[in-house]
Amino acid sequence: MSTNTVLEAKGLCKTYIVNKHQNNVLKNVNLTVSEGEMIAVMGPSGSGKSTLLYCVSGMDRATAGEIFFNGRSTAKLSDKQLTRLRLDEMGFIFQQMYMMKNLSVLDNIILPAVKSKKNRESRRAIEERGRALMHRLGIDGVGGNDINEVSGGQLQRACIARSMINNPKMIFADEPTGALNRASSDDVMNELLSLNRDGTTILCVTHDPKVAAKCSRVLYIVDGGIMGEKEFGHFEGGDKELRDRERDLNNWLMEQGW
Amino acid sequence: MFFRILKKDLKRKKTMNIILLLFVILSAMFASASVNNISAVTGGIDHYLEIANVPDIVVYTMKDCKAMEEIEALPSVKETRIVEAVDIWSSKHFYHQGKQLETFINSAALYPVDDFSIRCFDSDNNVVGEVEKGSFYATSQFIKDTDIKPNDDVTIKIGDTDITLKYRGTIKCPVFSTESLSGPCLLLNHADYDVLYNEPEVMHAGIQMNVKTDDIRAVEDIVANYPADASCMKKEDYKGLFLYDMLAAYILMAISILLMLTAFVVLRFSIGFTISEEYREIGVMKAVGIDNSSIRKLYIAKYLAISVLGAVIGFAGSIPLGSTMMKTVSKNVVLEGKNSVVLGLISAAAVVLIILLFCYTCTRRVKKLSPIDAVRSGQTGERFRKKSIMHLGRSKLPSTGFLSVNDVLSAPKRFGIITLVFAVCLLLVTCMSNFVMTLKSDKIHMYFEIPETEVHILDAELFAPMMLDAAKSEELVTGVEETLRQKGIPAYCTTTQMILAETSYGDKKFGVMVSKMVGKTDYEFPVAEGSAPLKNDEIAVTASVLDALNAQIGDRIKARIAGKEYEFIITGRYETFMSPGARVSADFDCGHAEVNGSTGLNIHLLNRSDKARIPEISDILKKEYSTDKVYTTTGIIEALTGMTETMQGMKQMMLILTAVVTILIVVLMERSFISKERSEIALMKAVGISNGSIIAQHTLRFGIAAVIACILSAAALFPLSSALFSFVCKMIGDVTKIAVDYDAVEVFVIYPLLLIAAAVIGTFFTALYTKSIQASDTASIE
Repeated sequence: MSTNTVLEAKGLCKTYIVNKHQNNVLKNVNLTVSEGEMIAVMGPSGSGKSTLLYCVSGMDRATAGEIFFNGRSTAKLSDKQLTRLRLDEMGFIFQQMYMMKNLSVLDNIILPAVKSKKNRESRRAIEERGRALMHRLGIDGVGGNDINEVSGGQLQRACIARSMINNPKMIFADEPTGALNRASSDDVMNELLSLNRDGTTILCVTHDPKVAAKCSRVLYIVDGGIMGEKEFGHFEGGDKELRDRERDLNNWLMEQGW
Repeated sequence: MFFRILKKDLKRKKTMNIILLLFVILSAMFASASVNNISAVTGGIDHYLEIANVPDIVVYTMKDCKAMEEIEALPSVKETRIVEAVDIWSSKHFYHQGKQLETFINSAALYPVDDFSIRCFDSDNNVVGEVEKGSFYATSQFIKDTDIKPNDDVTIKIGDTDITLKYRGTIKCPVFSTESLSGPCLLLNHADYDVLYNEPEVMHAGIQMNVKTDDIRAVEDIVANYPADASCMKKEDYKGLFLYDMLAAYILMAISILLMLTAFVVLRFSIGFTISEEYREIGVMKAVGIDNSSIRKLYIAKYLAISVLGAVIGFAGSIPLGSTMMKTVSKNVVLEGKNSVVLGLISAAAVVLIILLFCYTCTRRVKKLSPIDAVRSGQTGERFRKKSIMHLGRSKLPSTGFLSVNDVLSAPKRFGIITLVFAVCLLLVTCMSNFVMTLKSDKIHMYFEIPETEVHILDAELFAPMMLDAAKSEELVTGVEETLRQKGIPAYCTTTQMILAETSYGDKKFGVMVSKMVGKTDYEFPVAEGSAPLKNDEIAVTASVLDALNAQIGDRIKARIAGKEYEFIITGRYETFMSPGARVSADFDCGHAEVNGSTGLNIHLLNRSDKARIPEISDILKKEYSTDKVYTTTGIIEALTGMTETMQGMKQMMLILTAVVTILIVVLMERSFISKERSEIALMKAVGISNGSIIAQHTLRFGIAAVIACILSAAALFPLSSALFSFVCKMIGDVTKIAVDYDAVEVFVIYPLLLIAAAVIGTFFTALYTKSIQASDTASIE
C-alpha cells in the first residue's frame, strides 16, 4: 500500500440472500483511493455502486475481502470501533438529505462533533465551528430553522456541513445531487470540489455525468465488478475544461455501454 | 385490487400491525373485565341475596315461642321453613391435629344442610346442595389464623361427645355474617348434626324461621310482641353484613374504571400513531387518482380486521382476568355479573366500534389533504410546526440527555400520553396503599363507634351477659375498671351497645342501629353537624336516617327500641360505618334490651406512663380474662373489618397488574417508536453514533416520562385517594370524608422507584432491538 493511500479494498465481495436466492452484488472488487482524490462511481441501476460505498465506508460488512482505511483493516474492527471510525474519520452525504427531525439545522450539523471525543472542544466552540461551516456553504441564515423549513439545496449543504464537522479524512457521498435541481446541484458540487481542493478525499456515487466530470477519477461498475476506470486529474474550474471533460467522459461511458 | 393492497399492507407493516393488535387485545380485555366487574359490584349484594334464595324476612325465636305459630297463621305468609341451629360456645371444643383451636371469638353455629332452605356456595361459587356424612363446610372465620386445609380432620369434643369430621372447604351464605368477629357457621350432614344436637352440653340456640311474605310489617309486629324471645332481620338488613366486602368491591370498581380509561387512551394514541405512518401511502394513492372514500374504506377495513381479531382474543382473555380480580374481593360474597358473557361481548363490540370511530376521525384529514401534503406526513407546506425548542450548542446537558429531553419536548402529546398512563398506573397502586394504611390507622376509630382509647378486649365469653341484657354492661365496665385498679393500672372503661330499632317521623319509618356508649370517658364522639346528644331525649342520626325520614336537625322523631317507644329531638348529624345509625346519650336507659352488637371493651389508660407499656398491660389482661383477644386500636380496626388481608391481596394484585401494564405499554410503545424512527436510527449510526448512545437515548426518554409521572402522581395522590376513599365510604356507609393515611416510604419512594425501574428496564430491553438496524439501512429507508 502506498503511503498516501486512504482507502484500499481487496477482493471485495458482498452477497445478499433474498428468498433463498443468492445475489452477488459485489464480485471481487479491488479499489485504491489516494489522499486528496475525488472519485466518482458510475454505473447502471442495481450495479452495486451504493453497496460498494457502504462496504468500504464500514456502514455495511463485506461478505469477503479486505478493506483498509488509513492502513487499518476494518474487518478486524468491532462494531463499536467502526462506529467510532465513521464518527471521527469519515463524513457521509446521502441523496435523501436525512436529518434528525427533532433538531434544528445547526444542531443536526454539530451533533457528530458533540458526540466525538476527538477534539475536546466546548459546546460553544463546536457551535461556532458549525456556524462557520454554514457560512462557508452559504446557509448561515437557516441554523435555527427546523429541517422542514429549508429548501432541498440548503438541506443538502447542511448535510455537507455535517459531514465536515469532524474534519474527516474522507467523505462518502451517495448521489448527493440526485434529489436536487441543476442550480442546487451545481452549488453542492462546487462545495464538494472546494472541500477536495482543501485536501478532503471524496468517494461519490452518481448517475450524473456532469457531476462525475468534476471528479479526478471515474470508476464504471457493472454487475458488481469495476469494468473500467478513467483518470481525469483535478478539475481546475472553468466552463471550457468542464465541457471537455464532459465530452471525454460521455465518450468513455458510451464505450463502457452506458 | 382492494384486498390485494390490504393483504400486502397487513404483511408488510407486520410489526406495527401486531403492536396495534396487542393494544386492541389489551383494551378489549380490560373493557370486558371492567364492565363485568362494575356490573357485578353495582348489583352485587342484591343478586347474591336473590341467587341464595334469601326469604323476605328471617325470624329468630326461642324453641317454644308462640310467635312462630302466629306468623304461620298470617294470610300474607306464602312459605315458612324452619331450621334449628346448635351453638358450640367456644373454639376450644374444636381440635385440629390434636391441637385445641383458640382462634374465633364468638360461638360456632351448626346447621343441618337438609333443613337449610337458603343456598350456600363453595369457594368456586357452586351451590353446596349436600354434605357427606362425616364432613362439614364452614364460613371463613373457622379457618382464620389456622392451618386447616380442605380434607383435614377436625375433632369436636364436647361433654361426652367426641366426633371427627372432615373439613371440606369454606362456604358463603348471605345470612351468615362475614365479619371477622362473628362466630363461624358450620354446615353438617343431618346425621352428624343429630349427634351434636343430642349432646346436653351443646347450646340450643333457637329456631331460625325463613319467611316468604307479602307483608313484612305484619311479621315484624308479631316479633315485636315477643321482645325477649324473638327478633327478626329483613332481606334488606343482610346487606349490612357485607359492608367491608363491598368496600373492597367498590374499590375494585374504581380501579376497573381507571384501567378501562387507560386502555382507551393508549388505544387512541396507537391508532393516531399508526395512521400518521400511513400518510405517505395515502398521498401516493391520491396522486394516482384513487378517490377519498376508497382510501378511507381501505384503512377502515384494515382496522376492522385488526380490531375484530383483537376484540375476540381480548374477550377470551377478559374471562380469567375478570375472575381473578373478582376472586380477590369476593371471598365472602358470590359476586358475578348477571349477563357476564353478553356484557363482555357488548364491551368487546364497543371496543371495535370505538376503534373504527377513532380510525374514521383520524382518516378524516384524508379528504382535506392534497396528495403532496399527505406525502409530507400530513403537513401542508405552509404551516410547518416548529419541533426543536432546545439548542444543542447552548445546552449544558450531555448529548444523549439532550437528545432524550429534546425528543420528549418535541413530541409533547406523545410523551404526555405515556406520562399520563404511567401516572394513572402508579396512582392505582399508591391509592390502594393509602386505603390499606387508612383502614389500619387509628384515624377511623370513631367511624366504628370506638372512642379514643388504648387497649380493647373482644371476648365473646366476657361479653355474653351484656349481649343478652343491656343492663349488665355497667357491671362489666366497672368490673374491668376495678380489676385494673387492683393491678395498679388506673383506667376508664367503656363499651358501645348497638341495638336494632325502628325510627319514625310522620308517616315515614326507618330501621336503624342505635348505639350508646356505656362507662366513664372524657371522649366525645364528634358530630358532622349540630351537637352531640347529651340528654335522655336527644339523639344524633346519620344522613341516611335524615333522608329516609325526611327529617332535619331539631325535629322530634320516635324510636321503638326493644319494644318500647321513645321520643327524641335530633340534635346533630354524625358519620359512621355502622349506618343507618342513631346515637343516644350515655344517660339513656336501654333497660334489659338484647344487644345486637358491640365494639368490645375499650380501655383508656389514665396514667401517661402506662401508655408506654401497652403490650405489658395487654398481657396482664390476657392472663386475667383467659383470652388472647386483646388489641390495640389499630388491631381492633383490623379485627373488626377483617379487610386488611383482602386489601393487601388487592394491593398485590394491583402491583402485579400495574407492572404488567407498564411493561406492556413500554414495550409496545418503544417498539412502535423504533419502527417510526428507523430512518433516524440508521442515520445516527451512519454518522457514527454508537448503539449504546441510541439505546440510552431511547431508555432515557421513557425514564423522563416515568419521573414526571411520579411527580404528577405524588401531587394528585392525596386529592385523588381522598376523593376515591370518600366515594367508596359514601357508597357503603354514612361517611363523606375521611383523612387518608399513608406510608411515605411506600408511596413516595418504593412504588415510584418500581415504576421507573419497570419503565427503564422495559425500554432498555426493547431498545436493544435498535441494534438490528444497520447504518446501511439508510439507503433502503422509504
